Amino acid sequence: MASRIPSFLLDRPLPGVFKQERGKVNIPFIEEGINHLAGVIKKEYVQWELSSQNGFLQKIDARIKVLFLLFFVIIVSLKRSLLPELYIGFFVFVLVLLSRLRMGMFYKRVFFLGFFFGFLVAFPAAFNVITKGEIIGPLIKLSRPLNFWIYHIPADIGITREGIYGVARLTMRVINSLSLSFLVLYTTPFPEIVRALKVLKVPDTFLIILSLCYKYIFIFSKTVEDMHLAKKSRMVREASNTEAREWIAGRMAFIFRKSRLRCEEVFNAMIGRGFSDTIKLYSIRKMRPKDWYVGILFLFIGVLFLLI
Amino acid sequence: MIKLERVSYAYHDKFPAVSDVSLEINRGDKVAIIGANGCGKSTLLQIMGGLRYPSKGRFLFGGAEVSERSLREKGFLKLFRKSVGYVFQDSDIQLFSPTVLDELLYGPLQLDIGEEEAMARTLEVMQMLNIEHLKDRPSHMLSGGEKKKVAIGSILTMNPQVLLLDEPTNGLDPKTQSFLMELIFTLNEAGKTLIIGTHDLSLVEELQTNVAVLSEEHRLERMGEAKEILRDEDLLLKVNLIHEHIHRHDQVTHKHIHSHYLFHRH
Repeated sequence: MASRIPSFLLDRPLPGVFKQERGKVNIPFIEEGINHLAGVIKKEYVQWELSSQNGFLQKIDARIKVLFLLFFVIIVSLKRSLLPELYIGFFVFVLVLLSRLRMGMFYKRVFFLGFFFGFLVAFPAAFNVITKGEIIGPLIKLSRPLNFWIYHIPADIGITREGIYGVARLTMRVINSLSLSFLVLYTTPFPEIVRALKVLKVPDTFLIILSLCYKYIFIFSKTVEDMHLAKKSRMVREASNTEAREWIAGRMAFIFRKSRLRCEEVFNAMIGRGFSDTIKLYSIRKMRPKDWYVGILFLFIGVLFLLI
Repeated sequence: MIKLERVSYAYHDKFPAVSDVSLEINRGDKVAIIGANGCGKSTLLQIMGGLRYPSKGRFLFGGAEVSERSLREKGFLKLFRKSVGYVFQDSDIQLFSPTVLDELLYGPLQLDIGEEEAMARTLEVMQMLNIEHLKDRPSHMLSGGEKKKVAIGSILTMNPQVLLLDEPTNGLDPKTQSFLMELIFTLNEAGKTLIIGTHDLSLVEELQTNVAVLSEEHRLERMGEAKEILRDEDLLLKVNLIHEHIHRHDQVTHKHIHSHYLFHRH
Protein backbone atom coordinates (compact mmCIF):
# COMPACT_ATOMS: atom_id res chain seq x y z
CA MET A 1 0.00 0.00 0.00
CA ALA A 2 2.70 2.47 1.07
CA SER A 3 4.49 2.02 -2.25
CA ARG A 4 1.32 2.84 -4.13
CA ILE A 5 0.47 6.05 -2.30
CA PRO A 6 0.32 8.88 -4.85
CA SER A 7 3.09 11.42 -4.45
CA PHE A 8 0.65 14.37 -4.27
CA LEU A 9 -0.78 12.92 -1.04
CA LEU A 10 2.62 13.33 0.55
CA ASP A 11 2.62 17.10 -0.03
CA ARG A 12 2.47 19.05 3.20
CA PRO A 13 1.40 22.66 2.71
CA LEU A 14 2.56 25.19 5.27
CA PRO A 15 0.03 25.71 8.04
CA GLY A 16 -2.38 28.57 7.57
CA VAL A 17 -0.90 29.70 4.25
CA PHE A 18 -3.73 30.40 1.87
CA LYS A 19 -4.58 32.72 -0.93
CA GLN A 20 -6.56 35.62 0.43
CA GLU A 21 -9.72 36.00 -1.62
CA ARG A 22 -12.10 38.80 -1.00
CA GLY A 23 -15.83 38.39 -1.03
CA LYS A 24 -18.49 36.21 0.47
CA VAL A 25 -19.85 32.88 -0.69
CA ASN A 26 -23.56 32.77 -1.38
CA ILE A 27 -25.29 29.45 -1.14
CA PRO A 28 -27.74 29.06 -4.04
CA PHE A 29 -31.27 29.87 -2.99
CA ILE A 30 -32.71 26.62 -4.30
CA GLU A 31 -30.23 24.49 -2.32
CA GLU A 32 -30.53 26.49 0.87
CA GLY A 33 -34.32 26.49 0.50
CA ILE A 34 -34.59 22.72 0.21
CA ASN A 35 -32.33 22.18 3.20
CA HIS A 36 -34.34 24.69 5.20
CA LEU A 37 -37.61 22.99 4.26
CA ALA A 38 -36.23 19.60 5.32
CA GLY A 39 -35.17 21.14 8.63
CA VAL A 40 -38.61 22.64 9.20
CA ILE A 41 -40.38 19.33 8.46
CA LYS A 42 -38.11 17.53 10.89
CA LYS A 43 -38.62 20.14 13.58
CA GLU A 44 -42.41 20.04 13.16
CA TYR A 45 -42.37 16.27 13.39
CA VAL A 46 -40.34 16.31 16.60
CA GLN A 47 -42.57 19.00 18.12
CA TRP A 48 -45.67 17.01 17.27
CA GLU A 49 -44.25 13.84 18.78
CA LEU A 50 -43.39 15.71 21.93
CA SER A 51 -46.62 17.71 22.22
CA SER A 52 -47.43 18.55 25.84
CA GLN A 53 -49.57 16.01 27.62
CA ASN A 54 -50.83 18.21 30.42
CA GLY A 55 -53.48 20.35 28.74
CA PHE A 56 -57.25 20.00 28.59
CA LEU A 57 -57.61 18.48 25.12
CA GLN A 58 -54.59 16.19 25.52
CA LYS A 59 -56.51 14.21 28.14
CA ILE A 60 -59.56 13.68 25.92
CA ASP A 61 -60.07 10.52 23.84
CA ALA A 62 -58.82 10.86 20.25
CA ARG A 63 -62.20 9.68 18.84
CA ILE A 64 -63.98 12.61 20.51
CA LYS A 65 -61.37 15.00 19.12
CA VAL A 66 -61.61 13.64 15.56
CA LEU A 67 -65.43 13.88 15.65
CA PHE A 68 -65.17 17.39 17.17
CA LEU A 69 -62.86 18.39 14.31
CA LEU A 70 -65.20 17.04 11.61
CA PHE A 71 -68.30 18.56 13.22
CA PHE A 72 -66.78 22.01 13.71
CA VAL A 73 -65.19 22.16 10.24
CA ILE A 74 -68.68 21.50 8.81
CA ILE A 75 -70.14 24.26 11.03
CA VAL A 76 -67.39 26.67 9.92
CA SER A 77 -68.22 25.95 6.26
CA LEU A 78 -71.98 26.34 6.80
CA LYS A 79 -71.90 29.73 8.48
CA ARG A 80 -72.75 32.56 6.11
CA SER A 81 -72.02 35.58 8.30
CA LEU A 82 -68.86 36.89 9.87
CA LEU A 83 -69.94 37.14 13.51
CA PRO A 84 -70.42 33.39 14.18
CA GLU A 85 -67.03 32.79 12.51
CA LEU A 86 -65.50 35.22 15.01
CA TYR A 87 -67.26 33.43 17.90
CA ILE A 88 -65.88 30.10 16.68
CA GLY A 89 -62.42 31.68 16.38
CA PHE A 90 -62.68 32.85 19.99
CA PHE A 91 -63.86 29.39 21.12
CA VAL A 92 -60.81 27.78 19.48
CA PHE A 93 -58.59 30.41 21.11
CA VAL A 94 -59.96 29.41 24.54
CA LEU A 95 -59.30 25.74 23.76
CA VAL A 96 -55.72 26.57 22.70
CA LEU A 97 -55.25 28.37 26.02
CA LEU A 98 -56.71 25.49 28.03
CA SER A 99 -54.55 22.99 26.15
CA ARG A 100 -51.41 24.98 27.05
CA LEU A 101 -50.14 25.10 23.48
CA ARG A 102 -47.49 27.66 22.60
CA MET A 103 -49.74 30.49 21.51
CA GLY A 104 -47.18 32.38 19.41
CA MET A 105 -46.05 29.33 17.45
CA PHE A 106 -49.64 28.13 16.99
CA TYR A 107 -51.10 31.35 15.62
CA LYS A 108 -48.00 32.18 13.58
CA ARG A 109 -48.62 29.02 11.56
CA VAL A 110 -52.38 29.52 11.38
CA PHE A 111 -52.10 33.13 10.17
CA PHE A 112 -49.26 32.37 7.75
CA LEU A 113 -51.24 29.62 6.01
CA GLY A 114 -54.51 31.57 6.41
CA PHE A 115 -52.96 34.55 4.62
CA PHE A 116 -51.88 32.48 1.60
CA PHE A 117 -54.76 30.04 1.29
CA GLY A 118 -57.50 32.34 2.60
CA PHE A 119 -56.81 36.01 2.09
CA LEU A 120 -54.68 35.93 -1.09
CA VAL A 121 -56.90 33.40 -2.83
CA ALA A 122 -60.06 35.36 -2.02
CA PHE A 123 -58.67 38.87 -2.42
CA PRO A 124 -59.65 39.37 -6.13
CA ALA A 125 -63.26 38.86 -5.05
CA ALA A 126 -63.06 42.17 -3.18
CA PHE A 127 -63.22 44.07 -6.51
CA ASN A 128 -66.44 44.96 -8.26
CA VAL A 129 -65.16 43.11 -11.37
CA ILE A 130 -66.05 39.91 -9.51
CA THR A 131 -68.39 40.93 -6.67
CA LYS A 132 -71.01 43.53 -7.53
CA GLY A 133 -71.96 46.04 -4.89
CA GLU A 134 -71.36 49.43 -3.35
CA ILE A 135 -67.85 50.69 -4.13
CA ILE A 136 -66.11 51.88 -0.97
CA GLY A 137 -62.59 52.11 -2.39
CA PRO A 138 -62.48 53.35 -6.01
CA LEU A 139 -59.19 52.49 -7.76
CA ILE A 140 -59.34 52.88 -11.56
CA LYS A 141 -61.67 54.84 -13.80
CA LEU A 142 -61.99 53.64 -17.41
CA SER A 143 -63.41 55.80 -20.20
CA ARG A 144 -66.17 53.25 -20.80
CA PRO A 145 -67.23 49.77 -19.59
CA LEU A 146 -65.61 46.86 -21.43
CA ASN A 147 -67.25 43.62 -22.51
CA PHE A 148 -65.06 40.61 -23.17
CA TRP A 149 -66.64 37.22 -23.95
CA ILE A 150 -68.78 36.52 -20.87
CA TYR A 151 -67.00 39.12 -18.75
CA HIS A 152 -68.19 42.63 -18.08
CA ILE A 153 -65.67 45.18 -16.76
CA PRO A 154 -67.38 48.31 -15.41
CA ALA A 155 -65.98 51.80 -16.00
CA ASP A 156 -65.35 52.38 -12.28
CA ILE A 157 -63.18 49.65 -10.78
CA GLY A 158 -62.84 49.46 -7.02
CA ILE A 159 -63.27 47.49 -3.84
CA THR A 160 -66.87 46.83 -2.83
CA ARG A 161 -68.38 46.53 0.63
CA GLU A 162 -69.86 43.13 -0.27
CA GLY A 163 -66.50 42.01 -1.71
CA ILE A 164 -64.58 42.93 1.44
CA TYR A 165 -67.17 41.14 3.54
CA GLY A 166 -66.86 38.03 1.37
CA VAL A 167 -63.04 38.06 1.59
CA ALA A 168 -63.16 38.49 5.36
CA ARG A 169 -65.67 35.63 5.69
CA LEU A 170 -63.61 33.25 3.54
CA THR A 171 -60.37 34.19 5.31
CA MET A 172 -62.03 33.57 8.69
CA ARG A 173 -63.33 30.22 7.46
CA VAL A 174 -59.83 29.17 6.41
CA ILE A 175 -58.28 30.45 9.66
CA ASN A 176 -60.90 28.66 11.77
CA SER A 177 -60.53 25.40 9.84
CA LEU A 178 -56.76 25.58 10.13
CA SER A 179 -56.79 26.40 13.84
CA LEU A 180 -59.22 23.54 14.51
CA SER A 181 -57.02 21.11 12.57
CA PHE A 182 -53.79 22.28 14.25
CA LEU A 183 -55.51 22.18 17.64
CA VAL A 184 -56.40 18.50 17.22
CA LEU A 185 -53.06 17.62 15.62
CA TYR A 186 -50.97 19.28 18.30
CA THR A 187 -52.90 17.72 21.15
CA THR A 188 -53.13 14.17 19.80
CA PRO A 189 -50.18 11.85 19.14
CA PHE A 190 -50.24 10.46 15.61
CA PRO A 191 -50.83 6.78 16.57
CA GLU A 192 -53.90 7.89 18.54
CA ILE A 193 -55.30 9.66 15.48
CA VAL A 194 -54.80 6.54 13.35
CA ARG A 195 -56.51 4.46 16.03
CA ALA A 196 -59.44 6.88 16.18
CA LEU A 197 -59.78 6.86 12.38
CA LYS A 198 -59.76 3.04 12.41
CA VAL A 199 -62.55 2.98 14.98
CA LEU A 200 -64.45 5.49 12.86
CA LYS A 201 -64.29 2.97 9.98
CA VAL A 202 -61.79 4.75 7.76
CA PRO A 203 -60.51 2.10 5.26
CA ASP A 204 -57.35 0.22 6.28
CA THR A 205 -55.58 0.91 2.99
CA PHE A 206 -55.89 4.62 3.63
CA LEU A 207 -54.59 4.24 7.18
CA ILE A 208 -51.60 2.14 6.08
CA ILE A 209 -50.67 4.73 3.47
CA LEU A 210 -51.10 7.51 6.02
CA SER A 211 -48.92 5.78 8.65
CA LEU A 212 -46.15 4.93 6.18
CA CYS A 213 -46.15 8.45 4.71
CA TYR A 214 -45.91 9.94 8.18
CA LYS A 215 -42.82 7.89 9.02
CA TYR A 216 -41.32 8.36 5.57
CA ILE A 217 -41.53 12.16 5.70
CA PHE A 218 -39.13 12.15 8.62
CA ILE A 219 -36.71 9.71 6.95
CA PHE A 220 -36.96 11.74 3.75
CA SER A 221 -36.16 15.06 5.44
CA LYS A 222 -33.23 13.45 7.27
CA THR A 223 -31.85 12.10 3.97
CA VAL A 224 -32.18 15.54 2.36
CA GLU A 225 -30.37 17.18 5.28
CA ASP A 226 -27.56 14.59 5.17
CA MET A 227 -27.17 15.05 1.43
CA HIS A 228 -26.88 18.77 1.94
CA LEU A 229 -24.13 18.24 4.53
CA ALA A 230 -22.27 15.87 2.19
CA LYS A 231 -22.38 18.49 -0.56
CA LYS A 232 -21.34 21.20 1.86
CA SER A 233 -18.30 19.16 2.95
CA ARG A 234 -16.94 19.33 -0.60
CA MET A 235 -18.16 22.80 -1.50
CA VAL A 236 -15.02 24.86 -1.96
CA ARG A 237 -16.43 27.77 -3.91
CA GLU A 238 -19.74 29.36 -4.69
CA ALA A 239 -21.91 27.07 -6.81
CA SER A 240 -23.95 28.63 -9.58
CA ASN A 241 -27.72 28.17 -9.69
CA THR A 242 -27.28 25.89 -12.72
CA GLU A 243 -24.90 23.65 -10.77
CA ALA A 244 -27.32 23.66 -7.84
CA ARG A 245 -30.21 22.67 -10.11
CA GLU A 246 -28.13 19.86 -11.65
CA TRP A 247 -27.20 18.59 -8.21
CA ILE A 248 -30.81 18.69 -7.07
CA ALA A 249 -31.98 16.83 -10.19
CA GLY A 250 -29.39 14.12 -9.57
CA ARG A 251 -30.33 13.84 -5.91
CA MET A 252 -34.02 13.63 -6.77
CA ALA A 253 -33.27 10.59 -8.89
CA PHE A 254 -31.30 9.16 -5.98
CA ILE A 255 -34.15 9.73 -3.53
CA PHE A 256 -36.63 8.22 -5.96
CA ARG A 257 -34.46 5.11 -6.32
CA LYS A 258 -33.89 4.87 -2.58
CA SER A 259 -37.61 5.36 -1.84
CA ARG A 260 -38.54 2.57 -4.22
CA LEU A 261 -36.04 0.21 -2.57
CA ARG A 262 -37.22 1.21 0.89
CA CYS A 263 -40.82 0.68 -0.15
CA GLU A 264 -40.02 -2.90 -1.16
CA GLU A 265 -38.04 -3.50 2.04
CA VAL A 266 -40.77 -2.12 4.28
CA PHE A 267 -43.42 -4.18 2.53
CA ASN A 268 -41.29 -7.33 2.88
CA ALA A 269 -40.72 -6.52 6.56
CA MET A 270 -44.49 -6.15 7.02
CA ILE A 271 -45.15 -9.47 5.24
CA GLY A 272 -42.37 -11.06 7.29
CA ARG A 273 -44.24 -10.11 10.45
CA GLY A 274 -47.51 -11.60 9.29
CA PHE A 275 -49.20 -8.63 7.61
CA SER A 276 -52.22 -9.61 5.49
CA ASP A 277 -54.35 -6.63 4.53
CA THR A 278 -55.90 -5.34 7.70
CA ILE A 279 -54.51 -3.22 10.49
CA LYS A 280 -54.87 -4.98 13.82
CA LEU A 281 -54.86 -2.69 16.83
CA TYR A 282 -54.21 -3.57 20.43
CA SER A 283 -56.88 -2.91 23.03
CA ILE A 284 -58.58 0.38 22.30
CA ARG A 285 -59.16 2.13 25.56
CA LYS A 286 -62.71 2.53 26.75
CA MET A 287 -64.26 5.98 26.76
CA ARG A 288 -64.30 7.45 30.25
CA PRO A 289 -67.19 9.53 31.62
CA LYS A 290 -65.00 12.63 31.22
CA ASP A 291 -64.67 11.93 27.47
CA TRP A 292 -68.44 11.62 27.15
CA TYR A 293 -69.07 14.85 29.06
CA VAL A 294 -66.63 16.79 26.90
CA GLY A 295 -68.13 15.19 23.76
CA ILE A 296 -71.64 16.27 24.81
CA LEU A 297 -70.35 19.76 25.66
CA PHE A 298 -68.76 20.10 22.21
CA LEU A 299 -71.99 18.88 20.61
CA PHE A 300 -74.00 21.41 22.57
CA ILE A 301 -71.65 24.29 21.69
CA GLY A 302 -71.63 23.19 18.04
CA VAL A 303 -75.43 23.21 17.87
CA LEU A 304 -75.40 26.66 19.50
CA PHE A 305 -73.06 27.93 16.78
CA LEU A 306 -75.36 26.43 14.14
CA LEU A 307 -78.32 28.31 15.56
CA ILE A 308 -76.72 31.78 15.71
CA MET B 1 -4.33 22.38 14.55
CA ILE B 2 -7.85 21.60 15.73
CA LYS B 3 -9.13 23.05 18.96
CA LEU B 4 -12.56 22.74 20.52
CA GLU B 5 -13.27 25.12 23.37
CA ARG B 6 -16.22 24.10 25.55
CA VAL B 7 -18.31 23.12 22.54
CA SER B 8 -21.97 22.16 22.95
CA TYR B 9 -24.58 21.29 20.35
CA ALA B 10 -28.28 20.39 20.64
CA TYR B 11 -30.65 19.17 17.92
CA HIS B 12 -33.87 21.20 17.60
CA ASP B 13 -32.73 23.07 20.75
CA LYS B 14 -34.09 20.09 22.65
CA PHE B 15 -31.84 17.06 22.37
CA PRO B 16 -28.26 17.61 23.51
CA ALA B 17 -25.72 15.82 21.30
CA VAL B 18 -22.46 17.35 22.52
CA SER B 19 -22.01 18.92 25.96
CA ASP B 20 -19.13 21.15 26.94
CA VAL B 21 -16.39 19.30 25.04
CA SER B 22 -12.87 20.74 24.96
CA LEU B 23 -10.30 18.99 22.81
CA GLU B 24 -7.02 19.71 21.06
CA ILE B 25 -5.65 17.72 18.12
CA ASN B 26 -2.21 18.33 16.63
CA ARG B 27 -0.95 17.96 13.07
CA GLY B 28 -0.28 14.31 12.18
CA ASP B 29 -2.22 12.93 15.16
CA LYS B 30 -4.33 9.82 14.90
CA VAL B 31 -7.36 10.20 17.16
CA ALA B 32 -10.36 7.96 17.74
CA ILE B 33 -13.52 9.40 19.24
CA ILE B 34 -15.25 6.50 20.90
CA GLY B 35 -18.54 6.14 22.72
CA ALA B 36 -21.82 4.24 22.72
CA ASN B 37 -24.52 4.84 20.12
CA GLY B 38 -26.07 8.30 20.36
CA CYS B 39 -23.28 9.78 22.50
CA GLY B 40 -22.52 12.49 19.91
CA LYS B 41 -19.54 11.12 17.95
CA SER B 42 -20.95 11.97 14.52
CA THR B 43 -22.12 15.41 15.65
CA LEU B 44 -18.68 16.17 17.06
CA LEU B 45 -17.06 15.06 13.81
CA GLN B 46 -19.52 17.19 11.84
CA ILE B 47 -18.61 20.20 13.96
CA MET B 48 -14.92 19.55 13.24
CA GLY B 49 -15.82 19.21 9.55
CA GLY B 50 -17.47 22.64 9.58
CA LEU B 51 -20.83 21.07 8.72
CA ARG B 52 -22.59 22.04 11.93
CA TYR B 53 -21.81 24.99 14.13
CA PRO B 54 -21.60 24.80 17.92
CA SER B 55 -24.57 26.19 19.86
CA LYS B 56 -22.05 27.16 22.55
CA GLY B 57 -18.26 27.32 22.60
CA ARG B 58 -15.76 27.72 19.76
CA PHE B 59 -14.14 25.53 17.14
CA LEU B 60 -10.72 26.72 15.96
CA PHE B 61 -8.83 25.43 12.94
CA GLY B 62 -5.20 26.53 12.63
CA GLY B 63 -5.96 29.28 15.13
CA ALA B 64 -8.93 30.72 13.18
CA GLU B 65 -12.49 30.32 14.39
CA VAL B 66 -14.68 28.17 12.14
CA SER B 67 -18.21 29.51 12.13
CA GLU B 68 -21.07 29.98 9.69
CA ARG B 69 -19.74 33.50 9.13
CA SER B 70 -16.09 32.62 8.57
CA LEU B 71 -17.03 29.81 6.17
CA ARG B 72 -18.83 32.35 3.99
CA GLU B 73 -15.51 34.05 3.28
CA LYS B 74 -14.17 32.71 0.00
CA GLY B 75 -10.51 32.43 1.04
CA PHE B 76 -11.21 30.72 4.34
CA LEU B 77 -13.79 28.37 2.86
CA LYS B 78 -11.29 27.24 0.26
CA LEU B 79 -8.52 26.73 2.82
CA PHE B 80 -10.80 24.87 5.21
CA ARG B 81 -12.48 22.56 2.70
CA LYS B 82 -9.14 21.84 1.05
CA SER B 83 -7.59 21.00 4.41
CA VAL B 84 -10.41 18.98 5.99
CA GLY B 85 -12.08 16.01 4.31
CA TYR B 86 -15.13 14.26 5.75
CA VAL B 87 -16.01 10.64 4.97
CA PHE B 88 -19.63 10.01 5.89
CA GLN B 89 -20.87 6.84 7.52
CA ASP B 90 -23.43 6.36 4.75
CA SER B 91 -21.51 6.43 1.48
CA ASP B 92 -24.76 6.67 -0.51
CA ILE B 93 -25.30 10.15 0.88
CA GLN B 94 -21.83 11.26 -0.13
CA LEU B 95 -21.75 10.06 -3.72
CA PHE B 96 -23.68 12.37 -5.99
CA SER B 97 -21.83 12.50 -9.31
CA PRO B 98 -22.93 10.46 -12.36
CA THR B 99 -19.93 8.07 -12.39
CA VAL B 100 -17.04 7.04 -10.14
CA LEU B 101 -14.61 9.04 -12.29
CA ASP B 102 -16.76 12.20 -11.98
CA GLU B 103 -17.00 11.61 -8.25
CA LEU B 104 -13.23 11.58 -7.80
CA LEU B 105 -12.77 14.54 -10.14
CA TYR B 106 -15.37 16.69 -8.40
CA GLY B 107 -13.16 17.88 -5.52
CA PRO B 108 -9.97 18.80 -7.45
CA LEU B 109 -12.02 20.62 -10.11
CA GLN B 110 -13.75 22.59 -7.34
CA LEU B 111 -10.31 23.58 -6.07
CA ASP B 112 -9.49 24.98 -9.52
CA ILE B 113 -6.70 22.45 -10.03
CA GLY B 114 -6.03 22.11 -13.75
CA GLU B 115 -7.95 19.36 -15.56
CA GLU B 116 -4.78 17.43 -16.40
CA GLU B 117 -3.55 17.37 -12.83
CA ALA B 118 -7.01 16.56 -11.52
CA MET B 119 -7.19 13.59 -13.89
CA ALA B 120 -3.70 12.43 -12.90
CA ARG B 121 -4.63 12.61 -9.19
CA THR B 122 -7.85 10.71 -9.85
CA LEU B 123 -6.13 7.91 -11.73
CA GLU B 124 -3.44 7.56 -9.06
CA VAL B 125 -6.02 7.38 -6.26
CA MET B 126 -8.11 4.88 -8.22
CA GLN B 127 -4.99 2.76 -8.67
CA MET B 128 -4.18 2.92 -4.97
CA LEU B 129 -7.72 1.94 -4.01
CA ASN B 130 -8.01 -0.72 -6.71
CA ILE B 131 -11.10 0.79 -8.25
CA GLU B 132 -9.88 1.63 -11.77
CA HIS B 133 -12.27 -0.93 -13.27
CA LEU B 134 -15.21 0.94 -11.72
CA LYS B 135 -14.44 4.32 -13.20
CA ASP B 136 -17.40 4.50 -15.58
CA ARG B 137 -19.90 2.92 -13.24
CA PRO B 138 -22.64 4.96 -11.51
CA SER B 139 -22.34 4.87 -7.71
CA HIS B 140 -25.67 3.07 -7.18
CA MET B 141 -24.28 0.06 -9.03
CA LEU B 142 -21.46 -0.51 -6.54
CA SER B 143 -21.23 -2.83 -3.53
CA GLY B 144 -20.99 -1.41 0.01
CA GLY B 145 -17.19 -1.84 0.14
CA GLU B 146 -16.73 -0.30 -3.30
CA LYS B 147 -18.91 2.67 -2.33
CA LYS B 148 -16.77 3.22 0.77
CA LYS B 149 -13.58 3.14 -1.33
CA VAL B 150 -15.05 5.63 -3.80
CA ALA B 151 -16.20 7.89 -0.94
CA ILE B 152 -12.69 7.87 0.53
CA GLY B 153 -11.18 8.36 -2.93
CA SER B 154 -13.43 11.35 -3.59
CA ILE B 155 -11.93 13.01 -0.51
CA LEU B 156 -8.33 11.92 -1.09
CA THR B 157 -8.18 13.53 -4.54
CA MET B 158 -8.57 16.86 -2.71
CA ASN B 159 -5.48 15.96 -0.65
CA PRO B 160 -6.84 17.15 2.70
CA GLN B 161 -4.47 17.40 5.65
CA VAL B 162 -7.17 16.27 8.07
CA LEU B 163 -9.41 13.28 7.42
CA LEU B 164 -12.57 12.83 9.45
CA LEU B 165 -13.90 9.28 9.19
CA ASP B 166 -17.33 8.47 10.62
CA GLU B 167 -17.64 4.77 11.54
CA PRO B 168 -15.35 3.80 8.65
CA THR B 169 -15.56 0.03 9.13
CA ASN B 170 -19.31 -0.21 9.65
CA GLY B 171 -20.93 -2.83 7.45
CA LEU B 172 -17.74 -3.74 5.62
CA ASP B 173 -16.49 -7.29 5.08
CA PRO B 174 -13.23 -8.33 6.84
CA LYS B 175 -11.14 -7.96 3.67
CA THR B 176 -12.32 -4.40 3.01
CA GLN B 177 -11.91 -3.62 6.71
CA SER B 178 -8.26 -4.70 6.71
CA PHE B 179 -7.69 -2.77 3.48
CA LEU B 180 -9.10 0.31 5.18
CA MET B 181 -6.90 -0.15 8.25
CA GLU B 182 -3.83 -0.38 6.06
CA LEU B 183 -4.93 2.74 4.18
CA ILE B 184 -5.43 4.66 7.44
CA PHE B 185 -1.93 3.66 8.59
CA THR B 186 -0.37 4.68 5.29
CA LEU B 187 -2.15 8.04 5.21
CA ASN B 188 -1.12 8.77 8.78
CA GLU B 189 2.48 7.86 7.99
CA ALA B 190 2.23 10.25 5.06
CA GLY B 191 1.51 12.98 7.61
CA LYS B 192 -2.26 13.23 7.47
CA THR B 193 -4.19 13.97 10.65
CA LEU B 194 -6.82 11.29 11.14
CA ILE B 195 -9.90 11.61 13.33
CA ILE B 196 -12.10 8.55 13.48
CA GLY B 197 -15.52 8.29 15.10
CA THR B 198 -16.22 4.69 16.10
CA HIS B 199 -17.53 2.30 18.73
CA ASP B 200 -15.38 -0.48 17.31
CA LEU B 201 -12.77 -1.11 20.01
CA SER B 202 -10.80 -3.52 17.85
CA LEU B 203 -10.22 -0.69 15.38
CA VAL B 204 -8.86 1.47 18.19
CA GLU B 205 -6.62 -1.35 19.40
CA GLU B 206 -5.29 -2.07 15.95
CA LEU B 207 -4.64 1.56 15.00
CA GLN B 208 -3.20 2.45 18.45
CA THR B 209 -4.67 5.92 18.26
CA ASN B 210 -5.10 8.57 20.88
CA VAL B 211 -8.60 8.15 22.23
CA ALA B 212 -11.29 10.62 23.25
CA VAL B 213 -14.04 8.85 25.19
CA LEU B 214 -17.52 10.36 25.07
CA SER B 215 -20.02 9.51 27.78
CA GLU B 216 -23.71 8.88 27.23
CA GLU B 217 -24.25 12.33 28.71
CA HIS B 218 -22.41 13.64 25.61
CA ARG B 219 -19.40 14.85 27.62
CA LEU B 220 -15.73 14.14 27.09
CA GLU B 221 -15.11 11.53 29.75
CA ARG B 222 -11.38 11.01 29.18
CA MET B 223 -8.62 11.56 26.65
CA GLY B 224 -5.60 9.28 26.53
CA GLU B 225 -3.59 6.70 24.64
CA ALA B 226 -5.34 3.60 23.30
CA LYS B 227 -3.43 1.21 25.58
CA GLU B 228 -4.33 3.14 28.71
CA ILE B 229 -7.99 3.65 27.76
CA LEU B 230 -8.58 0.06 26.64
CA ARG B 231 -7.11 -1.24 29.89
CA ASP B 232 -9.54 0.83 31.95
CA GLU B 233 -12.49 -1.56 32.16
CA ASP B 234 -14.34 0.63 34.66
CA LEU B 235 -14.28 3.55 32.25
CA LEU B 236 -15.44 1.43 29.30
CA LEU B 237 -18.17 -0.08 31.44
CA LYS B 238 -19.27 3.37 32.57
CA VAL B 239 -19.62 4.66 28.99
CA ASN B 240 -21.36 1.45 27.92
CA LEU B 241 -18.73 0.26 25.47
CA ILE B 242 -18.42 -3.04 27.29
CA HIS B 243 -20.98 -4.85 29.40
CA GLU B 244 -21.33 -7.56 31.99
CA HIS B 245 -23.00 -10.77 30.95
CA ILE B 246 -23.78 -14.17 32.32
CA HIS B 247 -23.02 -17.36 30.45
CA ARG B 248 -22.32 -21.05 30.89
CA HIS B 249 -19.25 -23.22 30.44
CA ASP B 250 -20.47 -26.80 30.70
CA GLN B 251 -22.03 -26.91 34.17
CA VAL B 252 -20.63 -23.59 35.40
CA THR B 253 -22.58 -20.39 35.06
CA HIS B 254 -20.62 -17.23 35.59
CA LYS B 255 -20.64 -13.49 35.02
CA HIS B 256 -17.90 -11.31 33.52
CA ILE B 257 -17.15 -8.13 31.61
CA HIS B 258 -17.54 -8.63 27.92
CA SER B 259 -16.69 -6.88 24.72
CA HIS B 260 -16.94 -8.55 21.38
CA TYR B 261 -13.32 -7.81 20.57
CA LEU B 262 -11.09 -7.19 23.50
CA PHE B 263 -12.31 -8.61 26.74
CA HIS B 264 -13.49 -12.10 27.16
CA ARG B 265 -11.49 -13.02 30.19
CA HIS B 266 -12.52 -15.57 32.78
